[in-house]
Amino acid sequence: MSAPSNPTLRVAARDARVVRCREICRDHVRIEAVLTGFPASAPGQFLQVLCHDPDDPAPRFIEWSDSPTPGLARPAPAEDTAWLRRPFSIADRWDDPDGPTHLEVISRAVGPGTRWLSKLRPGDTLDLSGPLGRGFDIPDVQRPLVLIGGGVGIPPLLYVARVLAQRGALDVTCIFGATTRDLLPVPLCQQPRADGVATRCVELPGNARFPALVTTDDGSMGMRGYTTTALRAWAALRADAASALICACGPDGMLRAVAGVTRELGMTCQLCIEKPMACGFGTCLSCVTRIRDERADGGWRWALACTDGPVFDRDALLEYAP
Amino acid sequence: MQLRPPATGAARRLARPDTLRLVNTAGPNPPASSAAGPGLPAGPGDPALDPRMRVRIGRLELRNPLLTASGTCGYGPEYAGVLDYSRLGGFTTKSVTRLPRPGNPPCRTAEVSGGMLNAIGLANVGLQRFLAEKLPFIRTMPTPVFANVAGYSIDDYVHVAGALDAAGGLAGIELNVSCPNVAQGLMFGTDAALLGEVVRAVRGVVRSGLLIVKLSPNVTDIAPLAAAAVDAGADALSAINTYVGLAIDGESRRPLLGNVTGGLSGPAIKPLALFNVHRAYREVAKAAGVPIIGMGGVRSAADVIEFLLAGATAVAVGTALFLDPTLPLRVCEGVTAYLDRHGAANVAELTGALRLT
Ligand SMILES: Cc1cc2nc3c(=O)[nH]c(=O)nc-3n(C[C@H](O)[C@H](O)[C@H](O)COP(=O)(O)OP(=O)(O)OC[C@H]3O[C@@H](n4cnc5c(N)ncnc54)[C@H](O)[C@@H]3O)c2cc1C
Ligand SMILES: Cc1cc2nc3c(=O)[nH]c(=O)nc-3n(C[C@H](O)[C@H](O)[C@H](O)COP(=O)(O)O)c2cc1C
Ligand code: FES
Repeated sequence: MSAPSNPTLRVAARDARVVRCREICRDHVRIEAVLTGFPASAPGQFLQVLCHDPDDPAPRFIEWSDSPTPGLARPAPAEDTAWLRRPFSIADRWDDPDGPTHLEVISRAVGPGTRWLSKLRPGDTLDLSGPLGRGFDIPDVQRPLVLIGGGVGIPPLLYVARVLAQRGALDVTCIFGATTRDLLPVPLCQQPRADGVATRCVELPGNARFPALVTTDDGSMGMRGYTTTALRAWAALRADAASALICACGPDGMLRAVAGVTRELGMTCQLCIEKPMACGFGTCLSCVTRIRDERADGGWRWALACTDGPVFDRDALLEYAP
Repeated sequence: MQLRPPATGAARRLARPDTLRLVNTAGPNPPASSAAGPGLPAGPGDPALDPRMRVRIGRLELRNPLLTASGTCGYGPEYAGVLDYSRLGGFTTKSVTRLPRPGNPPCRTAEVSGGMLNAIGLANVGLQRFLAEKLPFIRTMPTPVFANVAGYSIDDYVHVAGALDAAGGLAGIELNVSCPNVAQGLMFGTDAALLGEVVRAVRGVVRSGLLIVKLSPNVTDIAPLAAAAVDAGADALSAINTYVGLAIDGESRRPLLGNVTGGLSGPAIKPLALFNVHRAYREVAKAAGVPIIGMGGVRSAADVIEFLLAGATAVAVGTALFLDPTLPLRVCEGVTAYLDRHGAANVAELTGALRLT
């Protein structure tokens, strides 16, 4: 029986120290935290982050004090408190030579949990479990690789870029999309082009120096259109486009479009999906998605996004079937 | 260890002279395999293995009163890497039904103030795959494991409970007669006559392990249901299952859950759970000498103490495992500290020790 000091997973460790919080664009914060003993992780894996003050509506062991009413002075969770943990893709991870691990998440404020995260300041502590789930599976870094991120789906692909650079991949192109220019959660080092030619316009983590295409729905930055507009532009310039592996994460509509275009162009594709999660460990059975299974009744069964995913092969996912 | 003498006819008939020790509670030292993780005390001072923490559920002795609640801890492997089962009082599996069930369409859970709603729809692998794929791991777990059984007819319950009891490797069966998510599931747990019938039928086939009946709170008064379960031969009661609830998205005018309604769990239901545990204890369980496993919103040592005082002998952690799967072990320290502070000899002494005058 494995002991709680698990080499592959850390749970509920209240020891990540926030060292940097940056507002990277409207509604988005990029949080860097430092902790020791964080297990090996892969891009596409996620963290379950406690998005309330652990000393406030404490979900765990309360110190018994000698006060007259020990344990009773506990404040009840307010209306606007995120009680359950919230899942966040690892946006970047690197390790100092002397041990400590740096983890980054990029969070878009959409509700109580993400609003709480946006108020964090350097010096605060963060309680997170992870790394959880299955990440992208990229055995061959010689083939053409395209990383497609839409909005707050971009974070896991930044971590992919770092790891691909480390592994010596050369033929990597990023396609990052947003609805409009001030909702693009990545730093730019030069103006992205509007004509479909990828340039080193995005600052990627680590030593990644890959060219990128940026799209906005309203044309306020980069190409006007969707990430699939850019994917078609990229493919049009490449004779070997069909041999590419596409890694994508983003809103549902974008993933559906990416699934369609990659299928049409004969490309392999892995999709990182988002489902509402309660546990992140495969115990609550809430994060289900239909996947193809010939042996099952009706040819499909439910899979869990938290443990079977969140990254799935495009063709396994029934919701993105042709 | 203070034991309440069995009092009613039903309880006396079922009391067995042989005290079955399914758990190694030989001493305060953890087994060699249980190296403690960061922040988790182990060794001679480990509160989870403190002899004062031992409690008795029927003829079974638990090393401490902390269990996991059905549906929040899978079948065992899910938390094996993070929750040290050799220090846990007991484990309860996800509900098992006769046939596999795919479960409800998404969305299956929604967070609400102070807790969450779930409408999983009893998704589970079914009896055959449970026996083939889940039981082998369960047999290796160094803690008593209770299989939670759900069904849609008395025949279902008898078939599944009988097969599981006969398979060996389980400490007992917990009957889920109260799942509020599946339309037909409501009736067994809310009708005293029907509840008595199903418990009596299952009692006949559960021979080697304990029979625990999990009560539904979706009733006007839990006492007649507790009495029906005890009279039909339950070795223990667990209380409570979730409350039926509804969450609405006003903008889209739609329910948040795919199943429309769901079961409410978490801190929001704790006062209701304490009330029901206390009522079942005072009206039925105390006199019958039948232990209660209390649950509903437990997330701290303070909560555990409150459930014990209300009448529970053991306490299960459910939804709070989603925040911290190690919570059942972490709270042990607070419980032993309470024993020290109150000069209590052991946790069993706290059961029903609520002062009403
Ligand atoms: C594997 C995974 C990785 C994720 N990575 C990131 C990330 O890197 N950055 C980021 O900002 N967000 C990410 N998310 C989404 C993030 O978890 C939610 O935005 C967050 O839970 C919202 O919490 P809240 O309390 O702020 O808002 P809530 O009040 O909980 O939700 C606000 C709105 O968002 C919707 N929502 C909540 N959770 C999800 C979800 N999981 N998927 C889709 N919609 C949801 C709700 O229905 C509601 O409309 C990820 C989700 C998953 C499952
Ligand atoms: C996601 C989820 C799934 C559950 N599934 C089951 C189940 O299959 N069978 C059962 O008897 N109870 C089930 N329960 C109820 C719990 O075992 C427990 O009785 C209830 O949640 C109250 O405890 P809590 O507030 O600590 O969660 C489930 C609860 C949750 C939150
Ligand atoms: S989030 Fe609980 S099973 Fe996936």
